[in-house]
Amino acid sequence: MYRASGLRIMQQVRGRISGEIQGVYCAVAPALKTFTLQQQVQQQQGRWTATSTVSGKQVAPPQVTPPPRHDWNRAVSEAERIVGYPTSFLSLRWLLSDEIANVALHLRKLVGSAHPLMKTAKHLLYNGKNTMQAWGLIVLLVSKAAGHAPSVPDVEQDKSAGVLHSQRALAEVTEMIRISHLVHNSVVNLQSSTQAGQDVATFDDMSFGNKIGLLTGDYLLGHSSAELANLRNQEVVELISSAVRDFSESEFIGERDEQNNPLPYKPGTFQRPSLSVGVDFNEHDVMAPMPIAQVLGNPEQEWECRNILNAGSLLGKSCQGSLKLAGQSEELQRHAYRFGKHLALAWQACLDAEPFQCPTLPLDATFSLVSAPVLFHLEHDPEMYADLEAGKQSVDNIDYDKIHRAILAGPALNKTKELQRKHTAAALAVLQHFPATDARQALENIILAMQDL
Amino acid sequence: MACLSTSGRVVCGTRRQQTHKLFYQIFGSRPGYTTGSGTGANMPGLHRTQQMQFQQAIRPFHGLSFNIGKDYSDLLKNPQNCSHNLNYSQCSKTNLRQHSSVHTQQPAGPVREIQIDPYIILDDELKYFYDDVRDLLQSGTSQPELDTIASYYFDGQGKALRPMVTMLMAKAINYHLNKESHQLVHKQRQIALFSEMVHSASLVHDDVIDQSDFRRGKPSVNALWNHKKVTMAGDYILSVASIMIARLRSDDVTIVLSQILTDLVQGEFMQLGSRETENERFAHYLTKTYRKTASLIANALKATAVIAQAEDNVAELAFQYGRNIGLAFQLVDDMLDFVSSTEQMGKPTAADLKLGLATAPVLFACEKYPELNPMVMRRFSEPGDVERAFELVHKSHGLEQTRFLAKKHCNEAIRLAQELTESPYQKGLQVVADLVINRMK
Repeated sequence: MYRASGLRIMQQVRGRISGEIQGVYCAVAPALKTFTLQQQVQQQQGRWTATSTVSGKQVAPPQVTPPPRHDWNRAVSEAERIVGYPTSFLSLRWLLSDEIANVALHLRKLVGSAHPLMKTAKHLLYNGKNTMQAWGLIVLLVSKAAGHAPSVPDVEQDKSAGVLHSQRALAEVTEMIRISHLVHNSVVNLQSSTQAGQDVATFDDMSFGNKIGLLTGDYLLGHSSAELANLRNQEVVELISSAVRDFSESEFIGERDEQNNPLPYKPGTFQRPSLSVGVDFNEHDVMAPMPIAQVLGNPEQEWECRNILNAGSLLGKSCQGSLKLAGQSEELQRHAYRFGKHLALAWQACLDAEPFQCPTLPLDATFSLVSAPVLFHLEHDPEMYADLEAGKQSVDNIDYDKIHRAILAGPALNKTKELQRKHTAAALAVLQHFPATDARQALENIILAMQDL
Repeated sequence: MACLSTSGRVVCGTRRQQTHKLFYQIFGSRPGYTTGSGTGANMPGLHRTQQMQFQQAIRPFHGLSFNIGKDYSDLLKNPQNCSHNLNYSQCSKTNLRQHSSVHTQQPAGPVREIQIDPYIILDDELKYFYDDVRDLLQSGTSQPELDTIASYYFDGQGKALRPMVTMLMAKAINYHLNKESHQLVHKQRQIALFSEMVHSASLVHDDVIDQSDFRRGKPSVNALWNHKKVTMAGDYILSVASIMIARLRSDDVTIVLSQILTDLVQGEFMQLGSRETENERFAHYLTKTYRKTASLIANALKATAVIAQAEDNVAELAFQYGRNIGLAFQLVDDMLDFVSSTEQMGKPTAADLKLGLATAPVLFACEKYPELNPMVMRRFSEPGDVERAFELVHKSHGLEQTRFLAKKHCNEAIRLAQELTESPYQKGLQVVADLVINRMK
């Protein structure tokens, strides 16, 4: 009954959407993605529960024999099946909420403007692979791989998927926080001293886009904190709130151009002996910030710190929090954190390497100036910094082709690949602390598929 | 004591600057008067109430200190009279009438026979309030710029209304339940910190949205820093506040307080665009006001009751008191937007109209001047709309009606407060209701 009506609603909504311009649905992007998926999954689930009456572990699902070539899409869709549906029905709730309907209406006015919010929306919609929208999925897989303490009452379990309802809620919160950060990051700096602030023709568009972006991000943040509160676990609230803190802190590190795009430090700014081990958060005090000052100037460790704040923190802390919800040991929680962190870092290294995979930079393509290849190359050839100085006002002023060529000629790409392998190996090693299950296998498949991307 | 206002000894807002000068002449040169603390020690000969008054006089942020300088000599001569000097409701009323010609009738309810200044009885809790917020914000980041932006509005220049009401309710409830303990008050103070931090975070984000250049008489954050960083600083304040609350380890408190955040955003969305019919409009306005302003106070107050493990009916009372105070506060705010000067508010007047918002005075005025309706619908976007609407509001009874509605909410708040066991704090809650209706800024 519920499913049938759910489907009907979805069809109605879908009808509504097809009338709209698709790019409009930034905030509901994951929801949109899951439309088709949810329908498929529901059909699959129907079939699945009919054929398998035993728990997922004993059934031999096809993913036990890993695909010969590690295919990303296949690895992800099989992983999704293991934990039931990818993200929950909250997505549907979003779509039908007044606020989001409102946002969609307002966003339509922005179509055609140059506001970066539209780019973020597009990115979330079409570039699922590159934005790694599988974060919630990873949290669920780690949850399932670890299992839960026997003391957890039956009513709190989602037996068919092998995870707790609270863990599913946490996975949603993870996605909401991540999207809220992306959306807040699309705010344009309109200070009167900046170019964007002086451009009278686009000022109103930009200002309006900022308003919508800010409110949408706040909406996601507000709802995620309400969802978190309902988990009734204050340690988890503390942990996830600190991940939000890390996200905001990450936007303050190092030099920035007018639009807050990061620039690397001038080589030689810091004279510090490199640390033998990378730095990380204080395990005993979530309020204590990342001690990043210790590693500035060391390309690999600085990159690591920036990206822990930027990505690894949320994924790691969500995995850790999920095991907290399941009543797992502190030790296993720490492993979960490390797994999430290394996976996010491996993923980031993979993304950083991508623009350098082809011999020439595609038209209009750019890359981050604090991505691993740039930082490694600056260490190898500090002279290149002169070319980057043009970006102090705006990173758009930089000759990306020139830097691209220089980096390809140097050792930076190989070092980046090595970095990716290092974190991939670390993630796989941590995974060995979890019992061998289909969920663990799915995580391994995802990691291996990522390596082949 | 009512004679104070009629005998002309009360110094009014227009002369405040001048009085401040006088006040500095009297106190400024003496050491030990730069902060509110330590005054008692410096003036051993004075009656306790007098010491409190001096503390109040030195306190810059609540703007009610103006009569002290003038009455300083009377105070010394006539100590038993001193406790009657604090009739701010009277002076602000006089003041309001000077600025707003619409109030031809005696606007006000009974003179309250209470000589309590909530800011004074809460001095212990509020003295280092902003320092504590700043310390907390500093402890969460290694980035000085993030700390600077996030702390910008915690400079002690605000009215600190939210923390003040929160602590009053907390202490009134503790008294009511007869379980005052240092530990409990400390936890309730964290809730007060939360309320102020969430308020500030919303101000920071509002500044980016509204692109206003000034707030509280100084450049707003968006005029000084990169908007992207300002956005992140708002998120940062929220996350630090959430960590602090999570550390209270109370599931119910976290749930009650998280409601504030969802309400705030929903309120903002309601403000974005509304196409209601004339009948729905006022209800829409009230709901929006509840979500944007009153929910914060109501839920923070409720949380102080929840953490004190009060019965549900006490928690509900705290909530309803906060809701009424919050609604009254915003109604008065919307009214002051039409009657105060830029100087007093620290932001331009008719700001709401300029933002396209139809607040209570306009909605009331619509009844008498239906020509306002199309202006409301087009959000005062055409040239001359703002000026015309401003004029019509003053011609109508919109301002009195708004004030009357605010007064009703204040009376309800007072009635609710009276249900609690009598205590200085419970009386303070009633004083606050007067303060809200008679405030000038």
